[in-house]
Amino acid sequence: MADAAAAADSEGIDGVRMTWNNWPRSKVEASKCVVPIAASICPIRPHSDLAVLPYPPLRCKPPCSAVLNPFCRVDFAAKIWICPFCFSRNHFPHHYAGVSETNVPGELYPQYTTIEYALPASHDPAAAAAAASPVFLFVLDTCLIEEELEFVKSAMRRAIGLLPDNALVGLISYGTQVHVHELGFSDLSKIYVFCGTKELAKEQILDQLGLVPGQRAAAMVGGTAGYPKGMPSNGVNPKATSVNRFLLPASDCEYILNALLDELQRDQWPIEAGSRALRCTGVALSVAASLLGACLPGTGARIIALVGGPCTVGPGLIVSKDLSEPVRSHKDLDKDAAPHFHKAVKFYDSIAKQLVSQGHVLDLFASALDQVGVAEMKVVVERTGGLVVLAESFEHPVFKDSFKRIFEDGEQSLGLSFNGTLDINCSKEIKIQGIIGPCTSLDKKGATSSDTVVGQGNTTSWKLCGLDKSTCLTVFFDISPSEKSNQPGLTNPQLYLQFLTTYQNHEGQIRLRVTTVTRKWVESAANTEELVGGFDQETAAVVMARYASLKMESEEEFDATRWLDRSLIRLCSRFGDYRKDDPSSFTLNPCFSIFPQFMFNLRRSQFVQVFNNSPDETAYFRILLNRENITNSVVMIQPSLISYSFNSPPVPSLLDVASIAADRILLLDAYFSVVVFHGMTIAQWRNMGYQNQPEHQAFAQLLQAPQEDAKIISTDRFPVPRLVVCDQHGSQARFLLAKLNPSATHNSANDVAPGSDVIFTDDVSLQVFFEHLQRLAVQS
Amino acid sequence: IDLKSLPRPLDSDVESTSVADTHPLNCHPKYLRLTTHAIPNSQSLLSRWHLPLGAVVHPLAESPDGEQVPIVNFGSAGVVRCRRCRTYINPYATFTDSGRKWRCNLCALLNDVPPEYFCTLDVSGRRCDLDQRPELTKGSIEIVAPTEYMVRPPMPPLYFFLIDVSAFAVRSGMLEIVANTIKSRLDELPGSPRTQIGFITFDSTLHFYNLKSSLTQPQMMVVADLDDIFVPLPDDLLVNLSESRNVVDAFLDSLHTMFQENVNVESALGPALRAAFMVMSQLGGKLIVFQSTLPSLGVGRLKLRGDDLRIYGTDREHLLRIPEDPFYKQMAAEFTKYQIGVDIYASSDKYCDVASLGILSKYTGGQLYYYPSFRGEIHHEKLRFDLSRNLTRETAWEAVMRVRCGKGVRFTSYHGNFMLRSTDLLALPSVDCDKAFGMQLSLEDTLMTTQTVYFQVALLYTSSSGERRIRVHTAAAPVVTDLGEMYRQADIGATISLMSRLAIEKMLSHKLEDVRQSIQMRITKSLKEYRNLYAVQHRLGGRLIYPESLKLLPLYGLALCKSAALRGGYADVLLDDRCSAGYNMMILPISRTLKLLYPTLVRADETLLKVWPRSPGPFPLTKDVLDPNCLYVHDDGSRFVVWFGRMVPSDILTSVLGFDLSGFVDFSKVNLVEQENSVSRNLMGLLGRLRAKDPSCYQLCHVVRQGEQPREGALFLSNLVEDQNAGISSYGDWVLHIYRQTQQNP
Ligand SMILES: [Zn+2]
Ligand SMILES: [Zn+2]
Repeated sequence: MADAAAAADSEGIDGVRMTWNNWPRSKVEASKCVVPIAASICPIRPHSDLAVLPYPPLRCKPPCSAVLNPFCRVDFAAKIWICPFCFSRNHFPHHYAGVSETNVPGELYPQYTTIEYALPASHDPAAAAAAASPVFLFVLDTCLIEEELEFVKSAMRRAIGLLPDNALVGLISYGTQVHVHELGFSDLSKIYVFCGTKELAKEQILDQLGLVPGQRAAAMVGGTAGYPKGMPSNGVNPKATSVNRFLLPASDCEYILNALLDELQRDQWPIEAGSRALRCTGVALSVAASLLGACLPGTGARIIALVGGPCTVGPGLIVSKDLSEPVRSHKDLDKDAAPHFHKAVKFYDSIAKQLVSQGHVLDLFASALDQVGVAEMKVVVERTGGLVVLAESFEHPVFKDSFKRIFEDGEQSLGLSFNGTLDINCSKEIKIQGIIGPCTSLDKKGATSSDTVVGQGNTTSWKLCGLDKSTCLTVFFDISPSEKSNQPGLTNPQLYLQFLTTYQNHEGQIRLRVTTVTRKWVESAANTEELVGGFDQETAAVVMARYASLKMESEEEFDATRWLDRSLIRLCSRFGDYRKDDPSSFTLNPCFSIFPQFMFNLRRSQFVQVFNNSPDETAYFRILLNRENITNSVVMIQPSLISYSFNSPPVPSLLDVASIAADRILLLDAYFSVVVFHGMTIAQWRNMGYQNQPEHQAFAQLLQAPQEDAKIISTDRFPVPRLVVCDQHGSQARFLLAKLNPSATHNSANDVAPGSDVIFTDDVSLQVFFEHLQRLAVQS
Repeated sequence: IDLKSLPRPLDSDVESTSVADTHPLNCHPKYLRLTTHAIPNSQSLLSRWHLPLGAVVHPLAESPDGEQVPIVNFGSAGVVRCRRCRTYINPYATFTDSGRKWRCNLCALLNDVPPEYFCTLDVSGRRCDLDQRPELTKGSIEIVAPTEYMVRPPMPPLYFFLIDVSAFAVRSGMLEIVANTIKSRLDELPGSPRTQIGFITFDSTLHFYNLKSSLTQPQMMVVADLDDIFVPLPDDLLVNLSESRNVVDAFLDSLHTMFQENVNVESALGPALRAAFMVMSQLGGKLIVFQSTLPSLGVGRLKLRGDDLRIYGTDREHLLRIPEDPFYKQMAAEFTKYQIGVDIYASSDKYCDVASLGILSKYTGGQLYYYPSFRGEIHHEKLRFDLSRNLTRETAWEAVMRVRCGKGVRFTSYHGNFMLRSTDLLALPSVDCDKAFGMQLSLEDTLMTTQTVYFQVALLYTSSSGERRIRVHTAAAPVVTDLGEMYRQADIGATISLMSRLAIEKMLSHKLEDVRQSIQMRITKSLKEYRNLYAVQHRLGGRLIYPESLKLLPLYGLALCKSAALRGGYADVLLDDRCSAGYNMMILPISRTLKLLYPTLVRADETLLKVWPRSPGPFPLTKDVLDPNCLYVHDDGSRFVVWFGRMVPSDILTSVLGFDLSGFVDFSKVNLVEQENSVSRNLMGLLGRLRAKDPSCYQLCHVVRQGEQPREGALFLSNLVEDQNAGISSYGDWVLHIYRQTQQNP
């Protein structure tokens, strides 16, 4: 995986990649660029060179508040630094008195464009300790068949064993009703039960859990109840009102939890004939969110929802309990024939808002053959920066291995962090439209927030309740030069962006990551070459994919294929070299050369061709597309294909049906799935057991190699991809064929080489697509 | 008036046995007693009978002699009943047509004898198989009912406990006593192995318990949404006791400790009742509620209405004694509909609106138990006894009762704990040997033509063993034309029992003063009528005369006016005590009513030094008999007051109490227990023997010292019914007053 490492490095210490690395000066020019000006940022990506400073940063005077960085001009004699964003002059404070050309603080080192500050925790040590204890609140669906329940229980037991001792753990199980387990009640197993059909406000939930001291009693004060005023009648035991009844340190409750899991049964309510199980996922999540709401503010907490089917009762209902009603499909959504959809999304949106206001995360582990409502719940996961895993069963490695990952430490750790806030400073000519990715706008509108909104906008500040080392956000920019900035002499040839991320890292420490980047302005409209030279095709492809997905979700009647085609044609018309109306004259600069192929594959991908998947799958794919880095996201759009054969070492192959050969093994990495595909001959030999014979060692190794590589891919990916091992002409072969360029189809089958393959499709091939593009791009 | 010569019930219980002698085919009087065993033949005669005409029915009365009611199974013949009036065949039915027909003694219809039931007649027209047919020879039988008498399979005995666990319930010891008592009686619950059991506890939230037999320990499920009560499990909240015995034991063992530190003072009784209803409604059964405070949350929340002095004597006075919130009556109706009987154990230390709570028992055939100023260390034995008896006495489930009577008479009103399902059908979700019912009789025709009127009580119920049964009591009474005969056949016990029930009901719509006056009025009218009948003939113009049968009528009438339910006004009895006394009197069998009205007073001191003392007494209930050198026990059947005269030697006191009186002694906290000396042992032995006289109740023992006010007045002196107290005259003055009234011309 040398490629991946190299690609990762291409993001450098900053973890920032932009569609355009040289920016046009005007709005008009920007719109002519077709591909939006956007940056993909990984706010807390680890890097070996990252320095951590043990003191708080210096900030420019308000309202700018930009942090001192290597791009600041420093007058060492006057002990002054000039902010590149607002050009204010700031005096160094006394404790910086020693700065000089030969004695610069770390944050001014030119290579430390990204640096981290360790911020002091809360003043109250107890509160700090509490805040440093991560909270894991498990929300477990019990409307499962016996087998699945056992699978999920054993996954839970494993997870509990892996939890750090200081982690606080809680358990909610649910089916027809919600059961909140009071782990701290020692006499017997005690459960608070909530009705599955009733939507309750946070205050009501806390009141019912006894987490609002005096609330119940207060209802009576001044009333006519049986006790005179002034009597200590609202006797609520302070111990009894503490959230610690429900959340216990892992070290204290491992035994209780395991005993509880042992006795935990499937939902006891009978299921009527012709009905689905009554499953109140909505109320369960609402109760979970409110329970966490009683935690200390600033506590890093996540709800880990293990869901085995759709919500069929109460708020957040995905599908009615009536089995004759199928779960909504893309067709239904398209025709507005999904009666519960918008209501459910609205409900889950309210949960998202609540969780964001509390700074808490929802992770969704959905394991079911049918849909569970990821499409509706996506909003909570995405707004809170949660994780999502979609699998067919709680036994499937996609679930099992992924689930284990979130509790693992060390190398394997996802670096789960909490309570992030992202602030962006930028040069005056730049406005921020918004962010696509796992975050929520804090609605702090500032001078740099654009009126045009993409994703989470109208702000200069975003909440990232949950973030981890691979979290990635896409920031969309607007160019909006002011009168002043156009005045000659004042123009700066460089633009600056500063990303400030405050967060609580996986060890519970508060950090501020500061990344300051600069890019060049392209001064004149004529300077196309400069623009072209700064084009990042991979980032552009991913941003287009994310943007198109957003539009598909939010704009009615949006035709993604058409939009992508037109964008590509406009882009090629603008930046291609050609003679008007002469398709054969068309060429593209190397900086653009593979972009059309990305678009070709994007058009055919699960992101655009949603009808091949369920809305849940689509939502799942999109959540991951939006939160993964550029390299990974590119693989989602355009899988990589490696060919294994006797004659050569593994080589990357064209993503084309022509790559199939009888004596080859192909390894397709489509990100969500990894396919090992054996050519016909290979499969035959394997079936005959040659690999077990000593004289066919080489064959055994050939068989082994792609499996090993597939394993390597799996280890550092979250969620763990689905591994498909298949043979040519086998039924599972479709997992490969669907991703290949149909250069040979059943229509063109006559000129196919023996041992090769064809694809049964009417889709156009890349060649045909490219021909069309050339023709249309050169049209006047 | 010679006070000494006034009649008093000092000998023994007054139980009419004459009827049993004259009507051997009648059921035993313990099951049914008429206020007079002579039915007037005309309206005009009845109009001169100023006392209530009616009966007291005690369908499941325990037989003191151990004689069982014979069980009859009609088998394939089916239950033999009159085709027209549905009377069950009984000893008064006559056979004709060589045994092929039988004539109904109630409606005179000639019925066919079912072939399977046919038997030839002897020369005197009696069936030859009489010795094998208890239904033709005994006034009381129990018929095994076939499936036609079931709307569903007979339910198992079901005990569901609704237990207040709020701070006072825990602190007072109620919870611990209840948990221990239930646990100690689990083996004796009737109906094993079918018996079902379940629990809900509550304070400001409701706690359900999953008692599934496969669990290692019970699971507590808290439901706090009081506005929309729901049940947290489809099954396992009500379980088979024998299957889940280990879990139930574990639950009862931890119940007290679990709530030991509960400081919650709220009570969501209304929501808890709803929850219990949801759990029980499938099967029905007995709901046993323990309530330690005024319900304060959710539906059925009650206000501190207060016992307002200013309301007494106004026409709003009675409102204090009826429930304010219709919730409790509605809930009771629901309970009855689903065969749920409710017993309430109210053990508050302050006002808890017994008037409202008691309604639940009143309309479900249940019982209210009230423990004012509850303190575990004082009340534990009584609570344990009451609860144990409730759990172990034979109980009839999902019952209905109807009393049929012959042509010309009709029962018009019923008085006791039940819900009237139709004009004459009493619904009794659960009923037992401690419940009696009063009913009033009226004449349908102006003139009766028959010589005899028959009555038949039929209680259809499910036994704890799971059989559907019909208990049938049949009785005959002569029709008379002579008022004198009515007086001769009058039954003072039944009369007072029915009068007290009527008085209690009147108290719910009238001032206490009015109720007392109407009692006095009735007695006066009755005695005046009697006087008119006999004064001239006996030439006894100057004396109060009364029939021998009713000689205790003035005294019991006076005692009734002085009973806790009707006595005085605001200051004399606390409102909850008064209401509780009222509810209690509605269910009492005759003997207990009489004992309550005129308690036994015995002296104990002289004999305490002897082994097995026979105590002197009983004495008339007046302070004139009290000797300050002596010690007395006042026993009203549910309470002892042990009164120490001022001059009782201190060594006796020390022996009895177990400590000397040199320091300050709060007698309200004294709990008499047996000490290591013969004096104490003998006193406790005496109390034990007094208790043994009636197994249905446990006398809580209060110790009072002469001169210790106000306790002496409240507990003891006010119960000396022959003295003037609570603004009501002494026995002598009362008789004098009645005498004067009877002298006046109308
Ligand atoms: Zn600045
Ligand atoms: Zn008849």
